[in-house]
Amino acid sequence: MKKFILSVVILLSGCTLVDSYLMTKYDANEYLLITQIRVSAQRFEKQCNNSSSSTGNAHAMSSLTELFASYTEQLPHNKEGAHSAKALNEIAQGLWERYNKREPVSTAFCQVKFQSIENMAQLIQNVSAKRPR
Amino acid sequence: MTLDEINQGLAQLANSGDPAFSNAANFIAQITEQIKVGQMSASEYTETLQDIQRQISIIQDMQQMAYKEQLNTLINGLIKIASLV
Repeated sequence: MKKFILSVVILLSGCTLVDSYLMTKYDANEYLLITQIRVSAQRFEKQCNNSSSSTGNAHAMSSLTELFASYTEQLPHNKEGAHSAKALNEIAQGLWERYNKREPVSTAFCQVKFQSIENMAQLIQNVSAKRPR
Repeated sequence: MTLDEINQGLAQLANSGDPAFSNAANFIAQITEQIKVGQMSASEYTETLQDIQRQISIIQDMQQMAYKEQLNTLINGLIKIASLV
């Protein structure tokens, strides 16, 4: 039993160690994309009271996050990064879909969307910057 | 997931000790307060709750990645030391 438990512990810690050792290194393109998303979200949030600007902004943001998600999903050993990029894209697509279907969008909703995107982009940017080089 | 469950999860994340994660979690807590006040339609409110769950998931993923980064630094440090001996 002791041997079994020891084997499981070694195996589990081994997987984490191997996973950590092989993790995706710092990628300048990935870092640039997430920085673009963050800065754009910061600017777009200030234009939420103008519905015509916001429609274009929501479309631009959905394109940026889609590009980011598509880029990160193919990077090897990047499960968490790809998962986060997908979630960020879903947040952005939700706003664009409302404008695209001509549904009414409140200023508060638009601001919360862009603030959320900016907040998450900042966190992803922070972690991406510390990737091993 | 209810707002109370979200708040509990956020409190745990906010106490992670890393300022980047604490800030992200505190910001989501602010959003939950904003949506309680109103100014949004019912469907916008529902979608915002879903977005909060997505944000919590992103924070958890990033915590996992940050942990791997620390391990990676440690492993590489050990390899360097071993190569010198």
